[in-house]
Amino acid sequence: MKRIIRIELLKVQSYSTFWILTSLYFLILLSIFFSGKFFLDFLARKGESLGDIIDPSGIPIYDFPDVWHNITYVAGFLKFILAIYVIISITNEINYGTIRQNIMNGLSRWDFLLSKLVLVCFLSIISTLFIIAAGFILGFIYSGNREITDIITYMEFIPAYLLQITAYLIFALFIGLLIKRTGLSMGLLFLYTLIVEPIITFRIKTDWIKGLFPLKAINNLIRFPFKKYALREVQDYIAWDDTLIVSVYIIIFISLMYLILKKRDL
Amino acid sequence: MEHVLSINNITKNYGRITAVSNMSLDVSEGSVFGILGPNGSGKTTTLGIILDVINPTDGTFNWFRNFTRKENRQKIGSTLETPAFYPYLTGVQNLKIIADIKRINYDNIDKVLKDVGLYERKDYKYKTYSLGMKQRLAVASALLCDPKVMVLDEPTNGLDPQGIAEIREVIKDISKKGKTVILASHLLDEVQKVCTDFAVLNFGRLIYSGKVDEVSQEQQIVEVSSQNLTELEKAINKFSLKKSYDNEKDKIIVTLDRNMSVTDLNKYLVESGIIVTHLVVRKRSLEQKFLDILNESE
Ligand SMILES: Nc1ncnc2c1ncn2[C@@H]1O[C@H](COP(=O)(O)OP(=O)(O)O)[C@@H](O)[C@H]1O
Ligand SMILES: [Mg+2]
Repeated sequence: MKRIIRIELLKVQSYSTFWILTSLYFLILLSIFFSGKFFLDFLARKGESLGDIIDPSGIPIYDFPDVWHNITYVAGFLKFILAIYVIISITNEINYGTIRQNIMNGLSRWDFLLSKLVLVCFLSIISTLFIIAAGFILGFIYSGNREITDIITYMEFIPAYLLQITAYLIFALFIGLLIKRTGLSMGLLFLYTLIVEPIITFRIKTDWIKGLFPLKAINNLIRFPFKKYALREVQDYIAWDDTLIVSVYIIIFISLMYLILKKRDL
Repeated sequence: MEHVLSINNITKNYGRITAVSNMSLDVSEGSVFGILGPNGSGKTTTLGIILDVINPTDGTFNWFRNFTRKENRQKIGSTLETPAFYPYLTGVQNLKIIADIKRINYDNIDKVLKDVGLYERKDYKYKTYSLGMKQRLAVASALLCDPKVMVLDEPTNGLDPQGIAEIREVIKDISKKGKTVILASHLLDEVQKVCTDFAVLNFGRLIYSGKVDEVSQEQQIVEVSSQNLTELEKAINKFSLKKSYDNEKDKIIVTLDRNMSVTDLNKYLVESGIIVTHLVVRKRSLEQKFLDILNESE
């Protein structure tokens, strides 16, 4: 396993595309997190001039424990940037013929798949660590509550976030391996994420059936949090059924990828 | 001798195309085995199958008389078709990945790069290499694990004459160390120069397999010339140990019978009182044999 990790690290280490995309990802995350407060202040100033009653600058988005729910939800929108890198990585291996060379040199097909899953886990874990750091920093800057119980209450959103991003990246890996072509894979991933599944699920009335679709299931892990500031009910916990569905999808995608690698001539 | 590789009745179909048809082959330890055939005859497909990257439609094969696929491949140095490396990594970084895959340390990297004449450019990115340099890196990668067996698919493709000569030297060196080399090539000359054994493929079928020496020795072709060509021709016409002869400008080309040597011819001519001014043995090239074989198979 150490060997597989080292192989994948050697592959990304000097790859400028990797560094550009991951830096971009963290820069955007950072700017979104730290501009949240400024945005609310901006709304407040607008609201003042309009004579509004509620003061948006007072919305405690970064207060413990809500901060965990809020930032994991928002960060979820940016996982597509990492998915782009995952697609580039797998389609490169196919187009450069390095997947074939890797196998010829002595990786098994499972080893190869494992090396790509290592990449997925690596990206998911650094993203999650970044979110944890951002949560603590934002919380300690802006939060009124610093009770230890408050700080850790919603931290269950962290493993949920890890599961969410891992599942999405595995989905991207699957598409890349299936389609082989870089641009086409990205196009299909976005087409499916933004258009195909939303249209299908839009027509379905029953919530639990909607939740069976892969991306809906992945997104369901962390529900929309901000309604609570309008005093509406939100799901502020991780549901076991969502977790189960996503885990099953992970297993399905990994099995399908293994099957593709087994059957396909490289 | 021990077989390092046995192929049993392998077939590969691509839709209606049969790329390899019911092929069986054994490769003995220490041989340099040439797989010869025109473009599209199934060489790459055959190598792809024995390297586990192409699934055969039918048939089996085994390396080293065992079935531990992945471990066997780690002991084999191989290239298939065009060199495949990470373009954004340097030569050395690419070889490090291969060393990790093959579970060996990085100590050998500089040495193999020197062997193929790529040492000076080792820290340049692969994408800056010329085709010849890419091919050299591919050979270097095959040498990396000090392999028991090397499988090379057209390794001199795209190289300049000097590069071709260098790579052939590398192959001969390897074979001197008692290693086995399996070499696919459409160049007869190449097979003749470096191989000990060879097989000929055409349309995916194995149509000949044997030793290179035997083929070269089968029949000798001799060029003879004399002041008096007519006398010479008369004498040769009567010579019973020839298969055929042919006039060529100021020479006569004699194909001797199997296992007859030029000495026999010379002795005969001397006895017939003919003074020979030119007597040269043409090594019967594999090319002729190859063309014969192809013709026969059609
Ligand atoms: N992936 C493929 N799909 C369809 N046909 C193929 C494929 N690969 C090879 N072939 C066909 O199989 C035959 C043998 O090809 P190949 O093994 O590459 O020959 P060689 O290496 O001797 O030039 C050719 O007719 C080729 O067109
Ligand atoms: Mg070929």
